[in-house]
Amino acid sequence: MGASETWGEILRPQALDLSLFAAFVALAMVSFFRKSVRLKYVTLTAAVGYLGFYKSSLMSISDVFRLADLSLPPFTYSLAWYLFSGFVVVSTVLWGRLYCGRVCAFGALTQLMDAVLPKKLRVDVPPAIERRAIWIKYGLLAALVLYYIVTKDLARPVQYAEPFWMFSLFGTTPMWIGLGLLLLATVFVRNLYCRFLCPVGAALGIISNLTVFRIKRWSECKTCKICEKTCEWGAIRGPKIVKTECVRCDDCERLYMDQQKCPHWIILRRKSDKLFSSA
Amino acid sequence: MAVLCSLAGSAGVLSADRIYTNPNPQAELKQLFPSAVAFSPLSGDPLHFKAYAVEPKTNPSAPPLGIAFWTTDLVPQEHGYHGPIHLLVGMNMSGTLTGVVVAYNSEPYGYFSVEPPKFAAQFKGKTFRDPFRVGGDVDAVSRASITINSAARAIRDSSRIVAQKLLPPEVTK
Repeated sequence: MGASETWGEILRPQALDLSLFAAFVALAMVSFFRKSVRLKYVTLTAAVGYLGFYKSSLMSISDVFRLADLSLPPFTYSLAWYLFSGFVVVSTVLWGRLYCGRVCAFGALTQLMDAVLPKKLRVDVPPAIERRAIWIKYGLLAALVLYYIVTKDLARPVQYAEPFWMFSLFGTTPMWIGLGLLLLATVFVRNLYCRFLCPVGAALGIISNLTVFRIKRWSECKTCKICEKTCEWGAIRGPKIVKTECVRCDDCERLYMDQQKCPHWIILRRKSDKLFSSA
Repeated sequence: MAVLCSLAGSAGVLSADRIYTNPNPQAELKQLFPSAVAFSPLSGDPLHFKAYAVEPKTNPSAPPLGIAFWTTDLVPQEHGYHGPIHLLVGMNMSGTLTGVVVAYNSEPYGYFSVEPPKFAAQFKGKTFRDPFRVGGDVDAVSRASITINSAARAIRDSSRIVAQKLLPPEVTK
């Protein structure tokens, strides 16, 4: 009976999940702080394998709905869920949509697809369309929250508005067809779902307005376009990084550190060369 | 859900803070005890139904076949991913479960975890002494572990309370 269980009895069945999740978070954070490409792909693979197909733990639109009626699972029996959601919210406040960039199993899957598929299949969305399309996910979030408040129906949104059920492998034929079409479209438009459609990403995008530790920009960024062109999330517009679209993929930060490519360092080097040669 | 709401008015008489479940689920009771001819109304402490093989009005001394109860009456604090899962459990007088009916759930992944008949069917034949361990004697379902864990716990804890309080002492000793 619930009350008579000791903490040992409560923790023992959850210990493995809790420690594996902690190990995954450690890997994700090391890959993030070291800006390592190789570790990032290790993290993405672990996200698909462990958080995806093995545990099937992803943030879902149903987690957002819960805020509407404050219906939370029992704390003692759901420690892994609390650790997971706590990490998602805290990391988003500190660094932005880091969850979307390397923890979410579906995002990791589409990023791995992007790395494997030939580049010539890729279609670049014209910036004018992209700037408008990013708003679709916010509209979808608002519509789904409204739908939930009116109907209290959790099942249909998780079946038809997000593809995260796929990791449990329980889907009906229309659900599998929808997923197939989505993945097919993702072959041509990279990270299509995450950028334009994901209501969870939209919710995290709203939180990411608080981001404490932001990406540094140089004064040279006003004119230089290297990062803007490299960003596969369409999150850089001229000198500005759009916080709500940035998933902290490290691509631009790696460029900042590259003294051969980033104009900030090239200009500094030339200036010092001139200084020394004239002296 | 609409049926639950329309019947909600009549629940007020039972108890103000009782989680609303159907106080007269004749079809479900029949499913748990197919050979019963009569059921006592929901009553007692803890709240339960008694199933009888002979009409208790004509033969008041006949012992009951078994007991049925809502997990939400026994363990109202038990919540799944999104609120309590309403389970009707049948148990015979020797402490073996005759079946489980999942009447209502608001779980996001309920459609593949607790709603398929396979879920309820696996509890038939278990006794209140079984471990009810998800991944052990209860099937685990990926992406719905909070739901499955809560339902298994609710059935385990409520059957143990009912066995302790309502079964003959020689069964539970």
